[in-house]
Amino acid sequence: MKKLVLIFLLISIVVTAQETSQETSPIYKKRVLESTEVDFLTSYYSQDGDNAAVTGGLGTEELTDFTPTIVVSVPLNDDDVLIIDAGISAYTSASSSNVDPFDTDGSASPFVASSGASRQDVLTTVVGTYSHSSDNRNNIWSANASLANEYDYFSVGFGGSYARLFNEKNTEFNVKANVFLDTWNAIYPSELRDNPSFEEFNDESRNSYSLGLGFSQILTKKIQASLSLDLIQQEGLLSTPFQRVQFSDVADVVVREFTLGDDVERLPDSRFKIAAGGRLHYYINEFFVVRTFYRYYTDDWGIDSHTASIELPIKITDKITLYPSYRFYLQTEADYFAPFNQHLSTQDFYTSDYDLSDFTANQYGFGIGYTDIFAKNHVWKFGLKSVDLRFRHYERNSGLKANIFSGGFNFIMD
Amino acid sequence: MYKLIIICILIFTVTSCVVVKEYEKVQLNDPDMELALKKCDRFETNFQAYRESASGANGGKTGGGCGCN
Repeated sequence: MKKLVLIFLLISIVVTAQETSQETSPIYKKRVLESTEVDFLTSYYSQDGDNAAVTGGLGTEELTDFTPTIVVSVPLNDDDVLIIDAGISAYTSASSSNVDPFDTDGSASPFVASSGASRQDVLTTVVGTYSHSSDNRNNIWSANASLANEYDYFSVGFGGSYARLFNEKNTEFNVKANVFLDTWNAIYPSELRDNPSFEEFNDESRNSYSLGLGFSQILTKKIQASLSLDLIQQEGLLSTPFQRVQFSDVADVVVREFTLGDDVERLPDSRFKIAAGGRLHYYINEFFVVRTFYRYYTDDWGIDSHTASIELPIKITDKITLYPSYRFYLQTEADYFAPFNQHLSTQDFYTSDYDLSDFTANQYGFGIGYTDIFAKNHVWKFGLKSVDLRFRHYERNSGLKANIFSGGFNFIMD
Repeated sequence: MYKLIIICILIFTVTSCVVVKEYEKVQLNDPDMELALKKCDRFETNFQAYRESASGANGGKTGGGCGCN
């Protein structure tokens, strides 16, 4: 890892030296952003499966999520841009509803949603980003701050990035860093709250620190590629307090059709993640472009994963493009994972969250895009520049299935 | 894996000697050639970061939310 960081640094030093002569020549200065842009983004997500972590790895995973979002980009002057990104994520979750599975009518089953308050919540997020570009547009700095809030979770984050372009903007090197300081308001399964032998978590904070390095290069007039490396350190309460675990060496207590939890999941209080990815985009001709992506991921919880995806934009007219895509994902299981009722009470760490299990996933997608660079169609003072609509179908070999519809409308102020 | 990454970086560095001029970048400036995800793809990246352990190196969420549902 040290070698990799050193190579990145050496490359940046060498190419910075090469560029010094170019810095001195006068350069025509174009505004970074010509006028205010507004993006209306939204998605509708639904999933279902039979391995809910809230009920110990066995139970309905039915969930829906609706996310209206607005992004406003404002040019402050020729060089500076302010971006405000605000949205909500309103979800209903059958598994979360079973934090307290016992309805007033007496029914209780891990495969049936409860009517409790935990069945739905709203996540609100606001992110502000300020960016500044140098006169020759070869240096770009940015700083960001974010807030996110839902009933049992609050997050504040801040970060910054620096990008350096050189080699006549054929090459880019960038570095970014972010810190997220999060706090749980821990909610526990109803049967454990009054259990005297149950130990609540003392520390409800979760902090995440990430460092990202990026390198992109134009290879030919039709091919460009990029490499990214992200290093992420997380500390604090990394368990989810309402996810149950049932032990195989403890007698099951079943009330109606519901197996009570023996404990909640217990995971280490630190996690180090490394993700290395690459993109290669190829402009075949005026009709076809190929976009490929690969990522390798590893962490110190024992998970290794590979992600590969391909998208083939097809331009059927000068304004309409189709976007068929395919994505493959596989991961190994975390050291602390076991299915429903298979952990031992003598273990230090345990979880039955299938997001940490061994699985493969296939995703099939289709999209359509409309682009009018002259933004002739207007809504009040805003011209419609582009519309993007996407659909993705996702299937895990463990049985989880999900669909997501998403859309984006980009307007430019006159 | 690290060797593969280093080889890729070296290949990119060597090929950076080939300079494509601004007026030759018409095809590279096509919106679909951008080395980033489209804005509406953020939702897809978010749900993948929640449902899968891997995240990062793709502009996705690397922290700042429980992702617990």
